[in-house]
Amino acid sequence: MASTALFRRVLALPPHLRRSVYSSTATHTGASQPDIYDVVCIGGGPVGLSFVSALRSHPSTSALRVALIDSQDLSTARTTKDTETYSNRCSSITPASLRFLKQIGAWEHAKRGRTQPYHAMDVWDGVSGSKIHFDSVDQQQTGLLDAVAEMIPGSRFQASRRKYQVEDVGVATMCENANTTSALLQRLHDLDEERLNERRVFDMLEKTRVESIDLGPESKDEKSLDLSQWPIVTTSHGKIAARLLVGADGANSPVRQFADIPSPGWDYNQHGVVATLHVDRHHTVQDLRTAYQRFLPTGPVALLPLPGNKASLVWSTTPQHAAKLKTLSPPDFTAAVNAAFRLMPVDISYMLSPTSTTTPTDELAWRETATPAASTGLPRNFPRIASVQEGSIASFPLRMRHADTYTGHRIALIGDAAHTIHPLAGQGLNLGLADAESLAKRIAYGVDHGMDVGSCWTLDGYNSDRWAKNNAVIGVVDKLSKVYGVGSGPVVWGRSAGVEVLERLGTLKGWMMGAAAGVK
Amino acid sequence: MNSSLLRLPVGIRRLILEQPPLTNVSPLRLTSAYIASTAKPYTTTTSPPPPESSVNHTEVSHFSALAASWWDPFGSSRLLHLMNPLRHDFLRRCLSVSPPDPAQKLDILDIGCGGGIFAESAARLAMARSVTAIDPTPECIAVAKRHQRSDPLLMEAGRLNYLQTSIEELYNRNTTIANSAKAGGEGGIKQYDIITLFEVIEHIRRPYPFLSSILPHLKPGGWLIGSTIARHPVSWFTTKFMAEDVLGLVPRGTHEWSQYLMPEEIREWARREADLNTSEGTGWRTMGVVYVPGLGWREVRGSEGVGNYFFGVRKRGDGV
Repeated sequence: MASTALFRRVLALPPHLRRSVYSSTATHTGASQPDIYDVVCIGGGPVGLSFVSALRSHPSTSALRVALIDSQDLSTARTTKDTETYSNRCSSITPASLRFLKQIGAWEHAKRGRTQPYHAMDVWDGVSGSKIHFDSVDQQQTGLLDAVAEMIPGSRFQASRRKYQVEDVGVATMCENANTTSALLQRLHDLDEERLNERRVFDMLEKTRVESIDLGPESKDEKSLDLSQWPIVTTSHGKIAARLLVGADGANSPVRQFADIPSPGWDYNQHGVVATLHVDRHHTVQDLRTAYQRFLPTGPVALLPLPGNKASLVWSTTPQHAAKLKTLSPPDFTAAVNAAFRLMPVDISYMLSPTSTTTPTDELAWRETATPAASTGLPRNFPRIASVQEGSIASFPLRMRHADTYTGHRIALIGDAAHTIHPLAGQGLNLGLADAESLAKRIAYGVDHGMDVGSCWTLDGYNSDRWAKNNAVIGVVDKLSKVYGVGSGPVVWGRSAGVEVLERLGTLKGWMMGAAAGVK
Repeated sequence: MNSSLLRLPVGIRRLILEQPPLTNVSPLRLTSAYIASTAKPYTTTTSPPPPESSVNHTEVSHFSALAASWWDPFGSSRLLHLMNPLRHDFLRRCLSVSPPDPAQKLDILDIGCGGGIFAESAARLAMARSVTAIDPTPECIAVAKRHQRSDPLLMEAGRLNYLQTSIEELYNRNTTIANSAKAGGEGGIKQYDIITLFEVIEHIRRPYPFLSSILPHLKPGGWLIGSTIARHPVSWFTTKFMAEDVLGLVPRGTHEWSQYLMPEEIREWARREADLNTSEGTGWRTMGVVYVPGLGWREVRGSEGVGNYFFGVRKRGDGV
């Protein structure tokens, strides 16, 4: 009876007092206080993961409270155990990116058996046949003195010249994106294991959707915390306040949209068709591999080596051709790819046009007899494509975008959120990894010097490190795609003459390879 | 005090404020030209200081006007923001002489903190336990406190405290607090591991008594670290002519060339103090820095005598 009387008396209280009577947590602050993090990275792709790994690996930044948000389930982003199938999403990793991945301790977790370093590149013009061959020999910068030194083996002179030789790192390494991603996830997991006894500072929020990003609320009074200039991320699991919000969230970055950073550019009227192919010869680990790229007027087609008898195809072509390619049967697709490297551009276009009546297999069979390899510039040891891996044919539209700036107040953009590039030079992922490395370095400098890592004093350095460099690479790649998009006339003559000259200038080629490799 | 007043040359501003003009001083300043007690009364926002105070009211008014733009990245304090990382580099260099135990956190006193550029950055360091930052200008303290609120780390209790006071008043305040709280040290006042004095000493009328009054607040073995500008024709050209008049990088009237101190003069003062260690490297350090527009601040060895420089001096005690 006493309890009902008490209950009635409680009910008679005004609502706010009633709540405090029967709620155990007396903290009633109105809107719930967001969880405060030092760095929030939205995007769990290779670039976002490498950025967070760099922060966690560096002693200065390992104590920062970091969150990584991704809408996917990251634990399933693993490569298959099957050594016979390769994902069609592969990237060419330059020596500089490799050095970064090694430095943050992630490369050792990559499945090395599924990566393929390559040591040479054969690039030729589909219209004129003029070709250029890139080799690590050009990077060696051997000159007269080295040639003389090699003539006296075992001499002190030869030994003294050795120190001028550049370590042979090959041109680049092909690696599946899933392989890179799982290596980075493993590294993050290991770092967490090491610090099991310390206060938890890293939270991986996977399967978490970002619902909105806003600025924080105005502060209640003159004395309390003011988060009105902080980005607050509302996720499906709650609100997160970020001292620095990093957008690694891809080409349509919500973080970039929140920051109101324009990203001008244009769409190439091309789609990139990717596939995993089987070639006719099997390579061992010791074999020197070559990457091939042929510039057709409709777009470049590239064959990039993978372990064993596999290769990765990246064919940039018109949307109509791409649509037709995806409808072809596997033998026809194989024939079309072989045709892309061996036939004249006009024959390839006919083969893929909607009005063609014969199958690509038949087209290739009879046209190839009429097209001598020497006239198209086909490299001597170019392999024959034997078949295509089932289910590996896909395409995506190609476009170029470059954000006007990579930073804002408490905002930074890395990877595809900052820039999108034509795949013809294999630089997209590498620019993103370089962005991640630079931003992590700048944040470490900021922490060491007591800076607020979201302020312009930390972030301006990242912008000045990367924006101009990325702009130059994007510009050059764009101009290359336009120069090689021309089918006839003086541009063809000009670019062919240029390529022929460049082929003979070993030092200049070596410099170009160094620049593309990102080696400092 | 509005910005149009600031654009006038210092001499005319002083007339407006009815200050006595600066009398001719000898290059080696061992005595001050000003005597505070002869200053005519004038209107300010604060009450006149006691006769022995280091607070110079022209300076206070000048910095009051700059307070609002202190944290603007492209405002009048941009050069200070750009110099701040070098302050940390110099601080670490001094501490590396005998590195403190990582578990032992440091108490830091920042004198003349202005809007709190260094004070905030020091409070964020892993090796700092608490930072006390003082400045006589009420507007600067208000700006500093407002900016502190936008960082939850700095809002943690005891991490960063701003006080609108002069060093002399701090002595009185700390003595009172310390006597009731049983703090150790000389006469029971609170002592700090590091005392910083960045871009302050050139604004003080009587620099040597001021420096001496700071010493009781320094723990034995602690460092007094500051930055100022050397008195040299080159520094007149760079910090007065180029920075203030031509390029407008620094607001007019910020600096008074005759008040600049040479590093040797500060070291000479330190030698006359019994409890300071002035041996080169272990007790006395300097670092010359130069600002190049577009590139920022860089350390330049040998520029201590002609431009901006950092100085650090260590107090004896605890085996030092």
